[in-house]
Amino acid sequence: MSKVIQLNEITKHYQMGDQTFKALDGINVDIDENEYVAIIGPSGSGKSTLMNIIGCLDTPTSGEYHLKDKLVEKMSETELAQQRNKSVGFIFQSFNLLPRASALENVMQPLVYRFIPQSERQKQALESLKRVGLEDKIHHLSNQLSGGQRQRVAIARALVTKPHILLGDEPTGNLDSKTTQDIMKLFDELHEEGHTIILVTHEQEIADHCHRVIRLVDGKVVADTRKKTEERLHV
Amino acid sequence: MFKSAIAIIEGVKAALQAIRANAMRSALTCLGIIIGVASVVTVVAVMQGFTKQINEQLSDLSPDVTSIKPYVALEDQMVGKQSKLSYDDFLYLKNKIKQIDVMTANMLSFNFANGAQYQNYIHSAQVIGTDSDYQKLYKTFPEKGRYLRESDDEKRRRVALVGETVIEKLHLPENPVGEYIKLAGKWFHIIGVGETQDSFLGFDQNNYIYIPISTMSTLDGGDRGIITIRYRLKVGADEEIVKRQITKILRQRHKISSGQPDDFQFETAKKAKERTKELTTSITGVTAGIVGISLIVGGIGVMNIMLVSVSERTRVIGTLKALGATPGFIMLQFLVEAVVLSLFGGMIGLAIGYGLSELISLMIPNLSDTHIPTWAVLLSFGFTSAIGIIFGLAPAIKAARLNPIDALRYE
Ligand SMILES: Nc1ncnc2c1ncn2[C@@H]1O[C@H](COP(=O)(O)OP(=O)(O)OP(=O)(O)O)[C@@H](O)[C@H]1O
Ligand SMILES: [Mg+2]
Repeated sequence: MSKVIQLNEITKHYQMGDQTFKALDGINVDIDENEYVAIIGPSGSGKSTLMNIIGCLDTPTSGEYHLKDKLVEKMSETELAQQRNKSVGFIFQSFNLLPRASALENVMQPLVYRFIPQSERQKQALESLKRVGLEDKIHHLSNQLSGGQRQRVAIARALVTKPHILLGDEPTGNLDSKTTQDIMKLFDELHEEGHTIILVTHEQEIADHCHRVIRLVDGKVVADTRKKTEERLHV
Repeated sequence: MFKSAIAIIEGVKAALQAIRANAMRSALTCLGIIIGVASVVTVVAVMQGFTKQINEQLSDLSPDVTSIKPYVALEDQMVGKQSKLSYDDFLYLKNKIKQIDVMTANMLSFNFANGAQYQNYIHSAQVIGTDSDYQKLYKTFPEKGRYLRESDDEKRRRVALVGETVIEKLHLPENPVGEYIKLAGKWFHIIGVGETQDSFLGFDQNNYIYIPISTMSTLDGGDRGIITIRYRLKVGADEEIVKRQITKILRQRHKISSGQPDDFQFETAKKAKERTKELTTSITGVTAGIVGISLIVGGIGVMNIMLVSVSERTRVIGTLKALGATPGFIMLQFLVEAVVLSLFGGMIGLAIGYGLSELISLMIPNLSDTHIPTWAVLLSFGFTSAIGIIFGLAPAIKAARLNPIDALRYE
């Protein structure tokens, strides 16, 4: 299986006055195509920081990151933007929906950067919203949606470009257990379809779905376990 | 190409949304541009009207007619120097200069300033003393009756040719030929009605009474009238030689010692045209200055509001970048937004300018020709777009350069 993500001695340091804070401290992780990974760890352990780097939103202080054999550090701003649009779908911990835009418009937005005509954008966005069960709320503005609904819009938006890699930073953090189950079923399906899925989570229930669990503590990987097929949870 | 089109459409959408969300702020932002465009449009429209009228009027002036007018420099006037072309100067020149085809004169006299009387009606018309050669020089024909004749002048007849307005104001019969009106205390016999002329820059051109210049000169008593001499040369005559001849004669008659300036000046239709052109050019220059300043002020307003807008929307920009917007796309989008904002101001300015020029044309009668030429509209829009691009550049670059993760964390 080919490696889609190769992280080599990745560090992320923040300078706080005269102190250097190591949010990530030498991360070495490879992720293969179609893996189903959970990143867990206590709050402040660097999970979001790592996800942002994987999602090409942030750049590491040092180390090498290969995304599908391409060295990310060498990419220009424009190439990074194209990678964010083409290779990864990012579900933010804080949704980051566009204000004053409807659910549909939010989901259509990534397709703008693929230069897809308006009608086609609308069609694909609608499909994606259907997948998360929000087809009856497409014209609601982001501030007219509940937390869970916003979360689902964020998921639909990440899905709409059919990215190879789906990154979710606490994608079910705001959902009740019933919706969480629905969403996890969706992730399972997407995984079946061949997507590589990486989820940051606090919840054991979600980690149980994944086939590999990486545990971070203080910016370091302290455990990296692959489950055998029989240990995997199926819904 | 197609990609830019999508970026432009996105920019226009975002701009319209931002303008709608902050209508008041946007309007205030555009104030400089609104004032700039409104003033240029108004001035251009009115100038168009004026220039058209002036040119029409000047083309009426026969191009081959030269005028001699009294002239004293302002600083000499202040020390009490006066200039006078006299009736005798006119008669002398008329006989003396052989290369002249026709020569006539216009005389204005303070004695006739009180106007004309007919029955109980009194009206202050412009009473002008001239001779039969006026008709020859300008090839004008009376609407009714006849023009001044040579014999009128020789015999100093008290006859008058009146304009349309005079008939109306004095309540003269429709055909006033044969009626008598009182000018400077004397009765004058109306012999004709002059050609009706369009008003010029809002001034009535038909409020005149022509009487023989000899008659006026006599009644003037003491040569206090103001005279303008006009002439046309014979075919083939040298303009400069004649001017030199006239200058020599007039300087002698006015006893001007050498070294002193002339107390008269020559004027031709060509010269008058040049002068109006100078005037329009300088007015246009002043307007361009005002417009330049207000557009720069307007541009700074646009820049300011765009910088605010970029700050306000930092998180949105971060989100768009996270979703795949390239720096180029973001930059184009914000540039378009700045241009739309400026054009919005330009449009309001155009509307105000249109309204103002209509208003002005209502206030100045006969200046009905104020129109906004297409080039002015295009130029305004071109200029405002350029302002949008120039002053939108800094905010757009700022937006394009935002680091996505920092932008997303922005509070
Ligand atoms: N811009 C920054 N400047 C300074 N420190 C930062 C910055 N961003 C993150 N950190 C620090 O890095 C550490 C890791 O943050 P991160 O957001 O990755 O944690 P996390 O594992 O996602 O936590 P949570 O589970 O609460 O979301 C935190 O201690 C945080 O304070
Ligand atoms: Mg986090």
